Amino acid sequence: MWATNLKIVGIVLGTLAVYTLIANKIPQVESEVPQTLTLGANVTPEQLVAAGEKVFNGIGGCTTCHGLGTRAPNLLTDEKGTGPIGARCGKREAGKTCKQYLYESLDQPTAYIVAGYQPIMPVMTKQLSPQQIWAVIAFLESQGGTVDVSTSDIPATSPASPTSAGGAGGAAGAGGAGGAAFAGGSTDPKAIIQAAGCLACHKLDGQGQVIAPDLTHVGSRRGAESIRRKILDPASSTAKGYERLAGIMPKAFGTMMNAAQLEALVQYLAAHK
Amino acid sequence: MTEHLLLALQAAADTSRAYGEFPVIGARQWIWITAEVHLMFAAFVLGVPMFAVVTEAIGIFGHDDRYDRLSKEFTRLLLVAYSATAIWGTMLVFALSTLYPRFWAYLTAIFAPSMWLYAALFLIESFTLYLYYYGWDRWKKGRAKLWHWTLGILLNVWGTIVMFIANSWLTYMMSPPRDITPTTDPTTIKLWHAISNATWMPINVHRLIANVVFGGAIVGAYASYRFLAARTDEERAHYDWMGYVGNFIAMSALIVLPFAGYWLGREIYQYDQSMGITMMGGFMSWLWVIQAFLIAVLFLTGNYYLWIGMGRIPGAERFQPYTKYLLIVLVLGAIVWGTPHTMIADSKELAAMGGSHHPFLGALGVMSAKNTAVNLMILTTFLSFLLYRRANKRPVVPWARTGTLIQATMFAIAAAIVLFYGIRGYFVEAIVRIGFSVYQVLAVLSCILFVTVIDVLMARGAQSLGTIQWGKMPPRSQYALFILAVTFTWLMGLMGFARSGIRQYWHVWQVMQDTSKYAATPALGYASKMISLCVLIFLSLVAFVFWLGGLAEKSTYVAEKGPGRVGH
Repeated sequence: MWATNLKIVGIVLGTLAVYTLIANKIPQVESEVPQTLTLGANVTPEQLVAAGEKVFNGIGGCTTCHGLGTRAPNLLTDEKGTGPIGARCGKREAGKTCKQYLYESLDQPTAYIVAGYQPIMPVMTKQLSPQQIWAVIAFLESQGGTVDVSTSDIPATSPASPTSAGGAGGAAGAGGAGGAAFAGGSTDPKAIIQAAGCLACHKLDGQGQVIAPDLTHVGSRRGAESIRRKILDPASSTAKGYERLAGIMPKAFGTMMNAAQLEALVQYLAAHK
Repeated sequence: MTEHLLLALQAAADTSRAYGEFPVIGARQWIWITAEVHLMFAAFVLGVPMFAVVTEAIGIFGHDDRYDRLSKEFTRLLLVAYSATAIWGTMLVFALSTLYPRFWAYLTAIFAPSMWLYAALFLIESFTLYLYYYGWDRWKKGRAKLWHWTLGILLNVWGTIVMFIANSWLTYMMSPPRDITPTTDPTTIKLWHAISNATWMPINVHRLIANVVFGGAIVGAYASYRFLAARTDEERAHYDWMGYVGNFIAMSALIVLPFAGYWLGREIYQYDQSMGITMMGGFMSWLWVIQAFLIAVLFLTGNYYLWIGMGRIPGAERFQPYTKYLLIVLVLGAIVWGTPHTMIADSKELAAMGGSHHPFLGALGVMSAKNTAVNLMILTTFLSFLLYRRANKRPVVPWARTGTLIQATMFAIAAAIVLFYGIRGYFVEAIVRIGFSVYQVLAVLSCILFVTVIDVLMARGAQSLGTIQWGKMPPRSQYALFILAVTFTWLMGLMGFARSGIRQYWHVWQVMQDTSKYAATPALGYASKMISLCVLIFLSLVAFVFWLGGLAEKSTYVAEKGPGRVGH
């Protein structure tokens, strides 16, 4: 019986060993807690690229769509014969350098929609700090191109962006509030809508995209309180028929405009009946 | 002044005591072990009673005492297992309250009433078990036996409610209702609102089925051990049969499990797309390749056990030539299912592949191919079982040939539907493609249902080609049952890591952040070591439970009088 027992123990341990071995042989990816990106005055292009790669693969969430071949253009590999992004960015828009094009693509994603793709990209300058944005640009330039991002491109402070890299939700709330806000603090709702990039997803008065609910008659569906709540906490409710887009709307708008702007925007939208 | 000082000191103490530390291995590791081993025992004590009550019913209504004895033997194993479940549960609660006090206080602020109910139900469940087991011989006949069986049903009801309550806590951590934010005072959250979160019911259903699978696998391992240790042919025959029943129930429930998994996955995506993408395409993407490998092992080993089992059935030699074709389908299906697709790759890896996907394998790694593969594997496994079931029978009903043709046609139609939607899925948008999996699943389930009904009707009065030679199984078949049990247990640990890991650095997703030094979610290699350790602890304790069961009472096997039965 001892021989049988030993065989059983051997099979159990052997099976566990095989599974553990296989799991250790595959690529090891750890989900790290996002850290604040701090770039020194003498940051080198290599350091910028390395930092940008981390943001690209981590907190930036870029790999969620870029690189899948279906949601958004490939950036790190060839895209329909035009090469990786670093090789093609300088040729995308006449008169724009690679750096300019990439920055504007991150700041106003709907400005340059590649044919065949939907305008689903959020405004990344509202999601990431300027340091992170420029690090990502350096990383993207390094993909087949020349890195020309330097410290002079990176502002010393981050006036309009949530500086925390602590991820979405509650950890990101520290930036913006009380400081300079959207559109230089203007209370013109149209300027706020333009600056916040709302039309990248929503349609309003015939302008914008139809990815998220049309806001043209939003006042007939929601009262001012509901609109305010939705802006401050996008997860608080989801319009019927848009459940699969739940979680897409940026959570930081509430911290990126002052109270006067918020009220101006709320009243403007509530009046759209 | 003194009061203010005390309050300040209290606040400082609260801040500093957000996290505790556990000696040598660390807080997270200790929580991991206690939670995982507790969960494995809990699955065992929930799965086996389902098993016991079904086999007891077969014994009562089928007038077959073997099933009744089998049921009692399962229940005997439960007695010690309940204690182990409670002990590990207590260790988990102490670990949570001392190592993660701030988080634990948050959970208790919301769920306290459900925790009291949980404890009360556990007590009631334990005493129901004592009544059920110790009353077995007292309430053996007639109406009393039916009351006894009702106790078994009650045992399952209590156990299921207990599981649902515990599931509400962990699913709240994954998918808290959207109106709850980091600033929401937990004491203001309505209990039912927190319980009925987005992933609660999918997890309930998934775990319920998984517990049946797990219970069957552990019972199969127990039977195989007793088979290998048996001193007489009769005892060997009894445990061979027990192992077969355990494996049959585990594999039958396993066939349904992926469908519950789809539902859970869909709910996760609908709750928060970024969480779904993290799970399937983010840092956890390789986990699904490992899962595919494990499930391939389960399918192959389960089928292997059936094919070896055909060696003890007179008449089975008719079907044995077909097994090689079944093996080919299973292996091809496993290869496709295990093909990686969406995963994090660095720029060098992407350049080496020539794109975000491998030029050839990329096409096999998508859900269209994988769904097709797994559905065909399920159909193949069902066919294996059907051949096993019919091995020693020759139908005598006049429509037997027509019936067999109808069955074959149903298989062909189901396979064609699965293949059609699998191929069509490449040419439509993702949202349409996801819907195709429903048609594939329905085709397979319908085939299983209707073919089984036809088979049962055809088996009426069937001519026997000989009785099953229970006990005439080579030892390797029993080792296969061990591999099944270890693989099921390891898979449970892996899926537990997936479910918990997709929260990443949040205790409660986007509501309460993990700020401890263990906030980062480890890679799969590290997780696999922890899973293996937990499985080893669990299996060692289960072996001890089995040994105790053997000490407490002799085998419930009673020598059969007369020839064995034809049926299964």
